[in-house]
Amino acid sequence: MFRILILFLLFFTLNSCSSPEGTWGWYVIDPSTKAGWTNIKFLVGGFYSTILLSIIAAFLSIFIGLVVALPAMSDNKLLKLFNRVYVEFIRSIPLLPMLFWVFYGLPVILKSIGIDANIDAFWGAIITLAISDSAFTAEIYRAGIQSISKGQTEAAKTIGLNYYQTMRYVIMPQALRRILPPLANQFIYIVKMSAFASVIGMQELTRRANEIVVTEYRPLEIYTLLIFEYLILVLLISFGVRYLEKKLGSNESANS
Amino acid sequence: MENTFAVEIKGLSKSFKDFKALDTIDLNIKHGEKVVICGPSGSGKSTLIRCINGLEDFDEGKISISGNSQNPTKESFVSDFHIGMVFQQFNLFPHLSVIENLKLGPMKSLGLSEKDAENRARKLLERVKIPEQALKKPNQLSGGQQQRVAIARALCMEPKLMLFDEPTSALDPEMISEVLEVIVDLAREGMTMVVVTHEMGFAKKVADRIIFMDGGSIVEQNSPGMFFKKPQTARCKKFLEQILHH
Repeated sequence: MFRILILFLLFFTLNSCSSPEGTWGWYVIDPSTKAGWTNIKFLVGGFYSTILLSIIAAFLSIFIGLVVALPAMSDNKLLKLFNRVYVEFIRSIPLLPMLFWVFYGLPVILKSIGIDANIDAFWGAIITLAISDSAFTAEIYRAGIQSISKGQTEAAKTIGLNYYQTMRYVIMPQALRRILPPLANQFIYIVKMSAFASVIGMQELTRRANEIVVTEYRPLEIYTLLIFEYLILVLLISFGVRYLEKKLGSNESANS
Repeated sequence: MENTFAVEIKGLSKSFKDFKALDTIDLNIKHGEKVVICGPSGSGKSTLIRCINGLEDFDEGKISISGNSQNPTKESFVSDFHIGMVFQQFNLFPHLSVIENLKLGPMKSLGLSEKDAENRARKLLERVKIPEQALKKPNQLSGGQQQRVAIARALCMEPKLMLFDEPTSALDPEMISEVLEVIVDLAREGMTMVVVTHEMGFAKKVADRIIFMDGGSIVEQNSPGMFFKKPQTARCKKFLEQILHH
């Protein structure tokens, strides 16, 4: 709460700095004028894409991460190798080059194998974010699952549970408690990284800010608002995560 | 069934890297027989019983369970001749209540209905004398109670053979007897069992045969009477002196 207060104070101090000479130009996002209100509506309209993009990418990443993580726990060396190669390779690619590769390169590859798929900015960004993030979620899963003692798997075996049942009824319910908080953290990361989607033309928060900057030429004011937009999103998730941690934490102390 | 042994082990060997954990073990266990295995730590006791139910692979040798040669494949746990196991650290499922711990195996692995599994579980909780704890989580119970739940969980699968891997070693002294009582009852009912333990009073009471292991081999085996009165080897004599006079 203290953090927010400081930021608001800062905001109003900056606001009072505006002078008739026009060093500051908060009028571009002044809701009391018609033009300012139109700008605000346009900028805030980016929330829709940013949120949708982030949520879909996060869900895909959570799913792909699990599929990548499970082979790491297998006895099969080849499966283990697959996990290592995937994680090391994917997490070494910076997001922006990967985004370009998916958006401009992937359609070419698909075409060459006979699939005429046009990847639009929305899905290009989702695929990139999901795959890039999945390397990290995979590591989170691995750490969480490996933190459950081997005795649990052995006990499950002695009452006849197969691999799937052991995971489903014994390991995952316990691991999830440890996995959820860091997983939610990754969600914050995705929300912020979704700003990169602006460079391939996705109409999300950052792209819309850029477009207004070009027409109004008031970068300071508009980017300040943009930062606040992300701040609100991330704070909301933060509070959610904290609530989740508290709930799971109290649960854990009662159970283990 | 009468002609076969419950467990038949021939030439069983296993190494962990350079360490020879089991060195050509031969051991036959009859149906209904109670075998106690003792020996210093690192002598291969636990490894031996973990090979019997396939929790460990082995390098050489052969294990037959009730006449069926078994390679400890992952699927061999559930069969007509189910092998139950009780661990030193209980290994109860901490996120499930006591009754859910018991019901999980029968429902998911044997395909029992929820109602049948519940009935079976309730009966077994009576048998280990903690019916009133059914809805509690394992960590709300004492160590002795947890181990009794673990025994009930194993019995829920209606095993023909029970393996106990130092079932009382992780317990506070005052809780040891309540767990041993349950195991003694089970022995009286005719269950075939292999118990790794240092509780020599218990061994005297229930064992048909006591096996002394050291360095991955069976050094000595005898009836309890003879085992304690006349240990045949110096190693066994020394071991007995150490644990009986501490």
